Amino acid sequence: MPARPIDLAAVATRVLDRLPSGVEGDVRVRSEGWTTMRFANGHIHQPHVEESRSVSLRVAKDHRLATATTTDTSPAGLGRVVREAVALASIAPVDARVGPFPVDGRPRPVRYSRATASLAPEAVGRIAAGALEAAGADVEGQRVSGAVHAGSQTIAIANTSGRSVSGIRTASQASILVERPADEPPVSGWAEGSHWDAAKLDAARLGREARDRMPRTAPKAAKPGRYRVLLGGAAVQELVGFLAHLGFSGHGEEEGWSCLKGKRGTRLFPEELRLTDDGRSPLGLPAAFDEEGTPKRRLALIDHGVVGPAVTDLVTAGHLGARLTGHALPPESPYGEWGPVPTSLILTADHGASPEELAKILGNGLIVTRFHYVRIVHPARGVITGMTRDGTYRVRHGEVVEPVRNLRFTQSIPETLRHAEAWGRERGRYSDERGVQSVTCPALVCGRFQFTSATLF
Amino acid sequence: MDDVVRAALRAALTSGIAYADVRVLAPQRFEALAVRNGEASALTATSGAGVGVRVRTERAWGFGTVADPSAAGARTAARLAVRAAHAAEPTCRRPIAVVPSRGPENGRYETRLRRNPFDVDRAEKLGLLRDAEKALHVGPEVKSGHASMQAWEQVTRFGSSEGVGFTSRIVHVGAGVDATAAAHGEVQRRSGPNSFGGDYGQAGYEFIEALALGERAPTVGQQAVALLDAPSCPSSAATTVVLATDQLALQVHESVGHATELDRILASEAGFAGTSFLAPADRGSLRYGSEGMTIVADATEPNGLGTFGWDDEGCPAVRTTLVDRGRLVGFLTNRETSAALGVPTSGATARAGGFDRAPLIRMTNVDLQPGDRSFEELLEGVREGVYFETNRSWSIDDKRLNFQFGTEVGRTIVRGELGPLVRNPIYAGMTPQFWGSMDAVGDASTWHLWGIPNCGKGQPIQAARVGHGAPAARFRNVRVWGG
Repeated sequence: MPARPIDLAAVATRVLDRLPSGVEGDVRVRSEGWTTMRFANGHIHQPHVEESRSVSLRVAKDHRLATATTTDTSPAGLGRVVREAVALASIAPVDARVGPFPVDGRPRPVRYSRATASLAPEAVGRIAAGALEAAGADVEGQRVSGAVHAGSQTIAIANTSGRSVSGIRTASQASILVERPADEPPVSGWAEGSHWDAAKLDAARLGREARDRMPRTAPKAAKPGRYRVLLGGAAVQELVGFLAHLGFSGHGEEEGWSCLKGKRGTRLFPEELRLTDDGRSPLGLPAAFDEEGTPKRRLALIDHGVVGPAVTDLVTAGHLGARLTGHALPPESPYGEWGPVPTSLILTADHGASPEELAKILGNGLIVTRFHYVRIVHPARGVITGMTRDGTYRVRHGEVVEPVRNLRFTQSIPETLRHAEAWGRERGRYSDERGVQSVTCPALVCGRFQFTSATLF
Repeated sequence: MDDVVRAALRAALTSGIAYADVRVLAPQRFEALAVRNGEASALTATSGAGVGVRVRTERAWGFGTVADPSAAGARTAARLAVRAAHAAEPTCRRPIAVVPSRGPENGRYETRLRRNPFDVDRAEKLGLLRDAEKALHVGPEVKSGHASMQAWEQVTRFGSSEGVGFTSRIVHVGAGVDATAAAHGEVQRRSGPNSFGGDYGQAGYEFIEALALGERAPTVGQQAVALLDAPSCPSSAATTVVLATDQLALQVHESVGHATELDRILASEAGFAGTSFLAPADRGSLRYGSEGMTIVADATEPNGLGTFGWDDEGCPAVRTTLVDRGRLVGFLTNRETSAALGVPTSGATARAGGFDRAPLIRMTNVDLQPGDRSFEELLEGVREGVYFETNRSWSIDDKRLNFQFGTEVGRTIVRGELGPLVRNPIYAGMTPQFWGSMDAVGDASTWHLWGIPNCGKGQPIQAARVGHGAPAARFRNVRVWGG
């Protein structure tokens, strides 16, 4: 659903024009329109249509930084946000290491979908209805849940150094769960995907995949312990997303809790493995620049197994004495405290295998469809924990022999990638509901993966 | 009922719309101040305002929202809600039933506070944070000190097509400190008075002053440093653990609060957060835990983050018993799920994360009631065990059964005495067995009402601020290890 148009760049200019002499600043003016059709028990139960607009102003006065935001874009509202930010900055502690607002680089346009940006709620409802039907929402004993999201964010960013950029990004995402809840234990199948063009999301295909992936037999108990695993794309994206924060945040590097601190420039992972952050790539969900307006560039985070640099924003670049990489989050975001994070991740590897070949390479082990409720156990070691969910299978001699009940893993992400033995030829595209972070990645065979307990279903 | 609410209701009540409610939030303010290593890390003032409109046809809900609190914005939000409902309707087969809201025509609720946090001089607030942060740096091993405080103010005007209306002004505050220490390849973090940015309450600035961050900070810094050389938590397949009040609050949140949300139980959240091991028929019969386990959801509790006059469906705040002496007796409900359960009134737990989010079943203040043991008496019965304090890591399966929690610090317990610190302590279990193994519950002197500011649920995701009162308590035969 498109938000009502306003001239965002003009608003940004009006904000900067109001700054008092001697005060520097950067401003983000956003206009967003999103529709979510959330379904459960076979019908859409939480349809949500949203139009929003906001202004985020960060100012620097004598190396004192502060941010104020508002949803009020009237002249009075803009005046208030300027006064608020300046008043906050006047009492802020000095942060002398932060450099001037950046100006270099001009972002080139990236791919987006005009049709996705103007998708009506009725159209998103039809996509969700198609997914429900394909997943078998009407089949007796079957329960279908999930969501379809689509929309866009238009943003203009300007600063007092002379930078002025604007752009649009679009995103669509769908996830579908099919269950037979009366089975003992219940069985389920899952599929998810993202695309910057909702026309290419194909939620109905995801519905069919989720239905077809549902096990035909009851899951058996599996003992916790160390296994060889074939992690499906949805599981790999979770690991990669956490590694982006735990291993590549400039803030983690600065504070010492990055699990890759001290390992940059060394080969830690298999030579075939490459992890890039590429906001411009249409393989992910493209965005032309970060929240400071710095153009997105392709950055090698893991290059043929060698660990690359931590990413930065204005503050962490100043603190680390490093170059600006263009990974700023909104300064008012609660995640801003976590510092800059790669948000356009693409995992690639040479010599990808087919799903059948991956099962053969796995030999004896477990296939994991996806993880649930993953949380950090020890950041500096990159250790996380979580559950398997919606399809875990035992493989013997390269053949799937039975579904198994869910297990809890507690595992280091760097260790998982270090023991990667094979990866899929095909890659899936995954993201959060509004495409703030996207991960494009294949399935992956890992030789050592620790499951620490089991649950009842 | 004011003009903006009326404008939205008029625009919403078009053909086929059986019900509408409107929330105008103006203002919705947030202030975050933080100091890291003597430098400002986040000084942010956020001021938003907007309208959220929810409508219901015979079979479908719809929600629309616009960041514009004017009458024009309200009409737009209403039209979006109507379109959302009509878009959903072709997939909906069953009529929607709800219980009455029993809300007021013109209610008023306001947080009682002595010092409005938004009126306190920011220099005073930053001074408090600077001093506290400085006090964390007890040695060169402390690589990062961090002190922060937050304040929220939310003024809501609610009106529904059933004639229910109220105005509320709710203020939440919170603050905390944390230190990250590093040496010889080890990194440890310690927080106070809790992780998740400290402790929070519905109160004024006096709540932050009472936290005494400056006095607390040196101990936090010292423990962060001490943890660097502390031994790893010993492993045991079945030992006795004593959980501090802060960790037990999160245990309640994850393994009771979410598990008793009736929308999860009825599979409304199945595709995202998951369901529950509970079923509606378990009410009144299921053994959740030991006799010492009584848990209430109390939206009337003073100072709680989950305290209000009426929920975001206009239902009056209530106190509901969820678990009575170990037996499941209630759920967290809203108008629709109460009707599905066949009970006459809502549990009044429909809460929205802002004007731009639809109300969902959320925890209010979900509290474990205190028992009769002093902290020393909890330890007395322990020949060998581990004490866990301040959550660091939390994860639980999608039916809220298998959990694993890590805390910032542990201490061995030997013959009834707390021993030295151990690092990276983790415990794990299965929900009913774990609560069934609770053999002693701390008294009121060990009990504290905590605020948790970041409970995530729903799509689009929304954060709720919820309260949890918990004492310390003792559990037998628990698996523990060092992570």
